[in-house]
Amino acid sequence: MKLSRRDFLKSAAAAGTAAAVIGVSGCAQDSGKNKEPGATNAAGSSPETESGKDAEIGTQPEAMEGNPAVKPGEGGKWVCSSCQGCTSWCSVQAYVEDGRVTKVKGNPNSKGNRGYICPRPHLAIQQLYDPDRIKTPLKRTNPKKGRNEDPKFVPISWDEAMDEIAERMMELRNNRESHKFSLWKGRSTGVADVFYHAIPAIFGSPNNYGHASICSEAEKLGAGITEGYWDYRDYDVMNTKYFLMWSTDPIASNRQVSNIINHYGDMRSQAKIAVVDPRLSATAARCDEWLPVIPGQDGALVSAIAHVILTEGLWYRDFVGDFKDKKNRFIKGETVAEEDFEEKYTYGLVKWWNLELLDKTPEWAEKIAGIPAEQIRRVAQDFAAAAPAATSWMAPGVAMQVRGGYIAMGANALNGLVGSVENIGGPNRASGAPVAKLPDTSPYTDEIAAEGAKQKKIDHRNDIRFMSAEKGKIHKNVVTNYLADAILEGDPYDLKMVVSYWNNWVYSCTGADRWEKALAKLPYFVHITLNPSEMSQFADIVLPASHPMFERWGFVTNKQDLHTYVSLEQPVVKPVWDSKADETEIAWLLAEKLAGKGFPALLDYYKKEFCDPETGEEPADGQEFGLYVTKYYTKGIWMPEEKPSGDEIGGWEEFVEKGIWNSEKMGYQKHWDDFGTATGKFEFYSETLKGMLEEHAEEYELSVDEALEQLNYLARGEQAFVPHYEEPVRYGDEKEYPLIFSEHRSRLNREGRSANTVWYQEFKFADPGDEAWEDVLKCNPVDLKAYGLTDGDRARVTSVQGSIEVTVKSWEGTRPGVAVKCYGQGHWAYGQVAAEDYGKKIPRGGNNNEILPCDWERLSSSTCRHGGIARIRIEKI
Amino acid sequence: MAKYGMVIDLHRCVGCAECLIACKSENNVDEGIFWSSAIRNMSGTFPDVKYEFIPTLCNHCEAAPCTIVCPTGAMFKDENGLTMHNPELCDGCQACLEVCPYGNISYNENAVQAFWNSEKAAIPEGTATGRELQELTGETIPYYNPDREATYDGIRRPGVVEKCTFCDHRLRAGLEPYCVEACPAKARVFGDLDDENSEISRLLKENQAEVLKEEAQTKPKVYYIGR
Repeated sequence: MKLSRRDFLKSAAAAGTAAAVIGVSGCAQDSGKNKEPGATNAAGSSPETESGKDAEIGTQPEAMEGNPAVKPGEGGKWVCSSCQGCTSWCSVQAYVEDGRVTKVKGNPNSKGNRGYICPRPHLAIQQLYDPDRIKTPLKRTNPKKGRNEDPKFVPISWDEAMDEIAERMMELRNNRESHKFSLWKGRSTGVADVFYHAIPAIFGSPNNYGHASICSEAEKLGAGITEGYWDYRDYDVMNTKYFLMWSTDPIASNRQVSNIINHYGDMRSQAKIAVVDPRLSATAARCDEWLPVIPGQDGALVSAIAHVILTEGLWYRDFVGDFKDKKNRFIKGETVAEEDFEEKYTYGLVKWWNLELLDKTPEWAEKIAGIPAEQIRRVAQDFAAAAPAATSWMAPGVAMQVRGGYIAMGANALNGLVGSVENIGGPNRASGAPVAKLPDTSPYTDEIAAEGAKQKKIDHRNDIRFMSAEKGKIHKNVVTNYLADAILEGDPYDLKMVVSYWNNWVYSCTGADRWEKALAKLPYFVHITLNPSEMSQFADIVLPASHPMFERWGFVTNKQDLHTYVSLEQPVVKPVWDSKADETEIAWLLAEKLAGKGFPALLDYYKKEFCDPETGEEPADGQEFGLYVTKYYTKGIWMPEEKPSGDEIGGWEEFVEKGIWNSEKMGYQKHWDDFGTATGKFEFYSETLKGMLEEHAEEYELSVDEALEQLNYLARGEQAFVPHYEEPVRYGDEKEYPLIFSEHRSRLNREGRSANTVWYQEFKFADPGDEAWEDVLKCNPVDLKAYGLTDGDRARVTSVQGSIEVTVKSWEGTRPGVAVKCYGQGHWAYGQVAAEDYGKKIPRGGNNNEILPCDWERLSSSTCRHGGIARIRIEKI
Repeated sequence: MAKYGMVIDLHRCVGCAECLIACKSENNVDEGIFWSSAIRNMSGTFPDVKYEFIPTLCNHCEAAPCTIVCPTGAMFKDENGLTMHNPELCDGCQACLEVCPYGNISYNENAVQAFWNSEKAAIPEGTATGRELQELTGETIPYYNPDREATYDGIRRPGVVEKCTFCDHRLRAGLEPYCVEACPAKARVFGDLDDENSEISRLLKENQAEVLKEEAQTKPKVYYIGR
């Protein structure tokens, strides 16, 4: 007699408790079928004695035989590459078996991520073998463009596709309109300039645009105008005693995720961790202090923390200096004479106090930021007590706000107060990497190219409304998200053709609807992509890209754990489909086609400048070009003229085998004598920023105050040069849109490109508060009740910008009045997993960028998605 | 003969789910089936909240109810304390699934790997299908890991149950379970509980360990510390 489930449950009930049933033994001892378990005779006997009896009796199980020919761990080979699923760019290895990738792990040769990876590289396997990847070049046959138009793509050959693209480009050149060609890049590798810079330069266009300002340029601004380091900082986490994290969620996203996950247990043991974040992030859920700030009000916390540090005399004197008579004159509400304080490595502390901090008490900040004064005071005291091993760690969330420039500045200024800048346990810089620069293109440019390149860029970086600071220079940074407006306005002129790769700005830029309209207007658009993304839907030609981690040559340079590194990307397997590497193979094919149409300069440049460093051979085809380009850039590592300060690598083959070059560990205090600011000091009062603002104002014959008005900042006068609190910008009237919307990142996002993998969807619940296969708006239960909603309801979310439909989630990890939602879902294209219905263009959830209006942090021209820029209302549907 | 067990250190665990995804990768686990998952607890009221993410897997209980109720002997304890399953003996009655206090046993009801059997392309002729990838790679799953078939169905047959085996195929080759190897936080320690000198024994001695649903008296061999 077989025991059915029902029979078993009955007998379990008869036995009284489940625990008693556990004592039932016997059935496992004999593997014969139709064995009748003695379900009832053991009822009542104690589980302990029965399980003891089990052990005594022993078991003689009949295991499945399996396949003895398979030797786990021996069937394949680990091959090195790099993961570009977030900005960490970890060095990885892929396990290749019979020409297939079966698994991934961290590259053990790496000193940055040290053989560890986060979940993202695993998802890359499903990206590689995603059935929805573009497998061949496609041509649009429906001339009408729009979200609701089927492009009616048909397959064409690479030859046809590249011929058509080259033909279009030659038309422009022949009409002396080469500047109306534009090249756009999203994510890229270390060899990007071969494509992104060289083609526009030699062809004759000023219009090449990257994605940087939709990512986190305002964060770099914060470090740039205080310590002259216009870059992301590295962190000395194993020596840090206090972490003050500003929207930073480093065990989940942006930056150094694998490195921090691996250290995090020790970090928790050795240091106190405070997280300022409107939502209970992964890190906030595992920290000592969560400060759930009202979105956009971070600046009030910065000022109050600095106020406490100064009034309580907790600043780090070895770095900042002291009052000449050692008596603390930082007393609430009282100005201080500058001459009374003698600074050491810093500049402008007293100015900062007098202009901003003197009345910014924790009690003042409590009302603005929604954080108890007591907690602010405690965090400030504990942070300063750990000086100089105290790190104020900023992420894009506090910086990418309309008035985020000064929050970024303030968050970094706190490192100055505690002297942790470039110190043991503090934020540090990276050393350089011995990689080559793009060879000079000017010998290959003709008169048409020179004329074209002189035309005005269309992204308005020189506009009065944008200071566009980058690396200390104004009007330098790209205004990526203005391109849609520029196209729609035809200002300064109409682009006629765009080639775009590794990006999806129709999905990833705020004010997404502008991009749909702009791309519908653009006469000719070529998209190079893995998947049929939202942007691809507007393309005239779609070209299949090779997967950067598995199918092509390239490299990345980055820093983690105080090491700079150069990590290789290589074709660990043959391309699954008829795809090509965007930056090299496609560049080569285009160069060949242009040469065939009477414009050989680009092909000449590629052939002459990218010979194999070992043999001197010119590349013969696109694949060789990809290899030689990678060898050219990295030859300082494996064929160095002088020994680099780091790993010694004996040759190309060894580099391919090891997959990475690591620098020596970065030293401390390398720039204390000259930070590279206008004063050479760490600037609390930024002469660096002042110089740039004055230059910007002068250009338009404005006063600095008038310029600040154009840049949408409230500060006037001297306050503009110190970190200070400004009221955040919110779109939407509070009565009509009662909730503040706050977005965050996913630990499974491969920069908005992994939602078409099943593992992303199945494990979406790994983001605190999120659910598998869902895109939830997380609301405090108080709010849900107020709007007549319950957990799991479908709701329409509306802002002044637009409307999306989502599922609501009751979640105590956000305050009443603030609704939070992750970025990454809401694809209406991309594939059959990401979209609820790809054919009908029904999204899975809703894209945040359809409700986030487009605006900028205008000192850096960064796109703003944080700080509660949008107010929303939610309605049950 | 060993008595295998695992310690999961929740102080080190960051809840990233890498172990769960790695499990899918190593064991060719189909969509909708989970050999390992997680318990998520959110308690308290804003802002005084506590969020827990507790990774779960088969507890390889000493007094494993699944082995006791199994009418065919398909679910059994092996000589190393692993709770094992022989699909050739399994008749799919799911008694084990019902009696497991932890919900860690899955029933494979549908045709295997429906995702990869799909013949529907997003863009006909322009994008691929799961079936095309099967044909191209010669595997049911393009990234199929053959290691799994050393001791078990590489891809499980429909109509039977399946669950975590502590990666017995890897243990046999002297490797650790894949979730242990994959964990970037080094939150998982696997070893022989009978060996006093093992890392796992040391951790259990030095820490207050918990098991899930101790009241079920199944004597789980997956322990949690640092909670």
